[in-house]
Amino acid sequence: MNDGPLIVQSDKTLLLEIDHARASDCRKAIAPFAELERSPEHVHTYRLTPLGLWNARAAGHDAEQVIDTLLTFSRYAVPHALLVDIAETMARYGRLRLEKHPVHGLVLASSDRAVLEEVIRAKKVAGMLGARLDDDTVAVHPSERGNLKQALLKLGWPAEDFAGYVDGEAHPIALETDGWSLRPYQIEAAESFWHGGSGVVVLPCGAGKTLVGAAAMAHASATTLILVTNTVSARQWKDELVRRTSLTADEIGEYSGTSKEVRPVTIATYQVLTTRRKGAYPHLELLDARDWGLIVYDEVHLLPAPIFRMTANLQARRRIGLTATLVREDGREGDVFSLIGPKRYDAPWKDIESQGWIAPADCVEVRVSLPSSDRLTYATAEPEERYRLASCAREKVSVVRRLVEKHAGAPTLVIGQYLEQLHELAADLDAPVISGETPVKERQRLYDAFRSGEVGLLVVSKVANFSIDLPSAEIAIQVSGSYGSRQEEAQRLGRLLRPGTPGPDGTPKTAHFYTVVSRDTVDADFAANRQRFLAEQGYAYRIVDADDL
Amino acid sequence: METWYRSLADQLRAWSDEQLARLLAARPDLTTPAPLDSAQLASRAATRSSLLRALDGLDLLSLAVLDALVPDGAPSAEAAVSRVEAGAEAAGAALRRLQELALVWESTAGLRCVSGVADLPRVPQGVSLAAPGDGPPDLVSSPRDAALVDRAAAGAAFEAVRRVELLLDGWGAVPPAVLRSGGLGVRDLKAVAVRLHVDEPGAALLIEVAAAAGLLAAGPDEDGNLAWLPTALYDGWIERPVAERWTVLARAWLATARTPGLVGQRDPAGKGWNALVTELVSSTIAEARRMTLAAMASLPPGEVLAAGTGGPSVLAHLQWLRPRRPQTRSHEIAWTFTESAVLGLTALGGVASYARLLLSGDDVAATDALAGMLPEPVDHILLQADLTAVAPGPLETSLARRLGIAADVESRGGATVYRFTPASVRRAMDLGWSAVELHSFVAAVSRTPVPQPLTYLIDDTARTFGVVRVGLAEAYLRADDEQSLIEVLHHPAAASLGLRRLAPTVLISTTPLAVLLPRLREAGIAPVVEAADGSVHVARPDAQRARAPRRAAEGAGVAREAARVSAVVAAVRAGDKAAASRPPSASAVALDPGGALAELREAIDAGADVVIGYVDNHGVRADRVIRPLSVEGGQLRAYDVRADDERLFAVHRISSVRPA
Repeated sequence: MNDGPLIVQSDKTLLLEIDHARASDCRKAIAPFAELERSPEHVHTYRLTPLGLWNARAAGHDAEQVIDTLLTFSRYAVPHALLVDIAETMARYGRLRLEKHPVHGLVLASSDRAVLEEVIRAKKVAGMLGARLDDDTVAVHPSERGNLKQALLKLGWPAEDFAGYVDGEAHPIALETDGWSLRPYQIEAAESFWHGGSGVVVLPCGAGKTLVGAAAMAHASATTLILVTNTVSARQWKDELVRRTSLTADEIGEYSGTSKEVRPVTIATYQVLTTRRKGAYPHLELLDARDWGLIVYDEVHLLPAPIFRMTANLQARRRIGLTATLVREDGREGDVFSLIGPKRYDAPWKDIESQGWIAPADCVEVRVSLPSSDRLTYATAEPEERYRLASCAREKVSVVRRLVEKHAGAPTLVIGQYLEQLHELAADLDAPVISGETPVKERQRLYDAFRSGEVGLLVVSKVANFSIDLPSAEIAIQVSGSYGSRQEEAQRLGRLLRPGTPGPDGTPKTAHFYTVVSRDTVDADFAANRQRFLAEQGYAYRIVDADDL
Repeated sequence: METWYRSLADQLRAWSDEQLARLLAARPDLTTPAPLDSAQLASRAATRSSLLRALDGLDLLSLAVLDALVPDGAPSAEAAVSRVEAGAEAAGAALRRLQELALVWESTAGLRCVSGVADLPRVPQGVSLAAPGDGPPDLVSSPRDAALVDRAAAGAAFEAVRRVELLLDGWGAVPPAVLRSGGLGVRDLKAVAVRLHVDEPGAALLIEVAAAAGLLAAGPDEDGNLAWLPTALYDGWIERPVAERWTVLARAWLATARTPGLVGQRDPAGKGWNALVTELVSSTIAEARRMTLAAMASLPPGEVLAAGTGGPSVLAHLQWLRPRRPQTRSHEIAWTFTESAVLGLTALGGVASYARLLLSGDDVAATDALAGMLPEPVDHILLQADLTAVAPGPLETSLARRLGIAADVESRGGATVYRFTPASVRRAMDLGWSAVELHSFVAAVSRTPVPQPLTYLIDDTARTFGVVRVGLAEAYLRADDEQSLIEVLHHPAAASLGLRRLAPTVLISTTPLAVLLPRLREAGIAPVVEAADGSVHVARPDAQRARAPRRAAEGAGVAREAARVSAVVAAVRAGDKAAASRPPSASAVALDPGGALAELREAIDAGADVVIGYVDNHGVRADRVIRPLSVEGGQLRAYDVRADDERLFAVHRISSVRPA
């Protein structure tokens, strides 16, 4: 026994007691190879996964270091099987290398002939490999660089990519730091990415991921393709780039449903790229329209599957993914690893919050009781109808009204899933609605009005989940959501976390995040998922009855 | 070696008690049943089966020395040693060992091997005695911090104990059936592997070890079907500290002849072996385990078997020490490597310090040493807002039981992570906990403030708990007229009927309908029977136990063995004395076949002529002068002096033997 802060469990989780004197040393030591899974108040849970260990290998750590770290900080004896597993898993990375060959172009090389033989015979890589050059080398079709990496990861032999990147067409981009500067973690994130070549930066919502992207562009100083989730987000990227960098509005093009400009820096939406016409993707040529030096993927956890396939063809270019969470509801974390790159930077939300870069949040779940008539309707409803019925309970309207009145004067967002409900709320609260039906221009106008304080209350649908910068929002009230999605919860909370101007007395703003749920229904069950997510992120969470408000 | 003997029996008679005891300890098959005297002992030591057994235990050098003495012996020890290509000192020691084992004796003509050795297959195919070398080939090792080995092994030891506990706790509640073949079903094994977070060979090992330790046995479940159940011993085992529990498991594994490594492999008929079937035993596995671990323990602390080459070097090492062991030896060594690591005797290729103590026989010291490395029990938990509770070490048993009721286990290991869910809180309430008790329990055991969501969860669960009530009743009484039910309730005869009013128009009774109905009629009420469904739920006991198999107490084994050896020595001595006190002519008296054999072997060893009384096919007894050559399978091959030819004699027809 030694008095370490870490407990290594046999199911590959690591428990870190954060009140321990050596906790912060330990966290720094294990961060490169363990994924932070939960960070509630006393004990943080990390998990060892093959991806995490390979991430560490990609960053230059070896198994010996990992095992040494665990044994050094572990309070109890470390299960032997786990150590063996770590060594074996890490040894798998880099047995295969993708390299540039002066004659044959891209080749797959290995010092371990058995592994190479196994891989060549695998069905999954059939057709991706060319001629066998010698015992240890086989040619790779350049177009299959990404697909091959993806397939090799699935086979459990992730390849290390030494084939390098094309520089792309140079284009001067510099940060214009007049009156502001990059935060330390943003600099670190951009540096880690640049030295790693390609990869993903994980930062909480509101922590300024756009600026990390801009810093990466300044490093590359080359033509850049930015892929974002929607048009509003595209406009925000453009505004931010004009404001923070040497780029002018003319140098930045928007490639979306409405306009199709290709400029040295082009911002395209995922949607337009995945539009299919007659079975083909007509806008795919955008990817080849220029000799891009850098590709930025915003909200990489939402990257649609077709884009994954296209990304596979972009392997020769530098790629940076930006996201608040690597959790993908579709479980394709491995694809992000092999196609965009390993995780290059990660910081716990609470850390950045404690440094004052994002606002602290107070999360409250308000439970309303359904009246008996509604309970009967609910009890007899078809299972697929139940969630909607419970989510749209009429009793929520009065609760929302009371909450809005309680925080009168503070900029407030009411967020929901069902349009009918949103319109009902809007009518009751006398506030404008933004939904998928709202024209982009109108959306833009309302967001601007909200930012300027002209409009103090907005009712929004899930279109506002992502990448909308509303730094002034202080209160969010969610009345319904997509079945307790953790990812959605992260995004919605993110709307609130952008630090606003401190109050008149100089106290920093505290955001309030309310969730209104119907008691004893599936709504409450799904809310439990979200509650867990928030608590795991370290946010204080309370549950109150509507009557006690 | 100045004294030379006429026969092996002669030499044994001259041995000291210590020498005799050493022989019997090394060749325990000679002691059962206890031989009458030295002559019989010598005779038994020369039987084929006993010789083969003794040869199995020889190393390569000893075999080479023995080989050098076949067929004619050697005039002196020096001569024998000089025939072997090895250091004189090592070869001399090997020769002395052969003499101690009564495989070689000092005849009047010099050193000779015991008759019978020459006819045996001594060296297996593929083994050469040409250059045996002085000792076994060295192990290939590399340095590794001994403390690290200890930590990793103790981690495995802790896991193994915890998993056996988990295994048997689960089977106590839901026991798996015993297959008709006697084993455990493949599906049950798979389920256990998933539950214990181990692979199937790992699960099979834990199951077999639990059975070997007497914690698991076949017994009837509540339906009377044969099932695998924890034994009564388990209840005692579970109460002991972790280190003691580990020692029990490790000892059982070291001693067992069972081969868990075969589970899942195909038998010769192509069928997979099931765990716990009786066939999974090997007479050599326990020795292979002991020798493998002894070889590993021969490395000094701080040195472990080198990765890759270390394993094969152990195999080569053991092949030298026991060249006659079969080829399956390499499997047995490989199993020992993995199994000892899973059970926490070894880690990273080295033997843990506490396991060294165990191997040297000091169980108490081993237990103490291990206890110092295991996590100490804690009496508190850390509650968190995500409704988890972390116990930062193994919880005290009673606390663990209570917490296990109120919360679900999410992750196990040195620490345990529990999660409170509506279902787990309801489960606690089902078992009679009130919300107030739950609140005070979590507040008392938590070192951190109780988070609001947990308080809310308990209250919220309590709110809906018990809204619908269920109870037992034997019969109900129903009437649309409330007044008539009130009359029944207050009737003087109703007091003994166990009536209770649930609603204005419903009464229930705890009296069975068969009794209730006549009583009501006696009381002048005229009821009509509405339905007759009297099914009663009987609570089943949730933990079942099998009777522990009877087995020898471990510690007593060694002492008992020693006592037995000395008793046999005493018996042999007494026999010798009795023989010596007989007048010389008495040696011609009729003998039983066993005595005849001893005399004959003595004559074989000495190459002497004897006179035997032999009953021929017609039942006529005649004396014959013969020179015995060998005894095998109840037949004596001998040179018949009168016939001047080799003849076969049936041993059971030899009525007497005396020197010619």
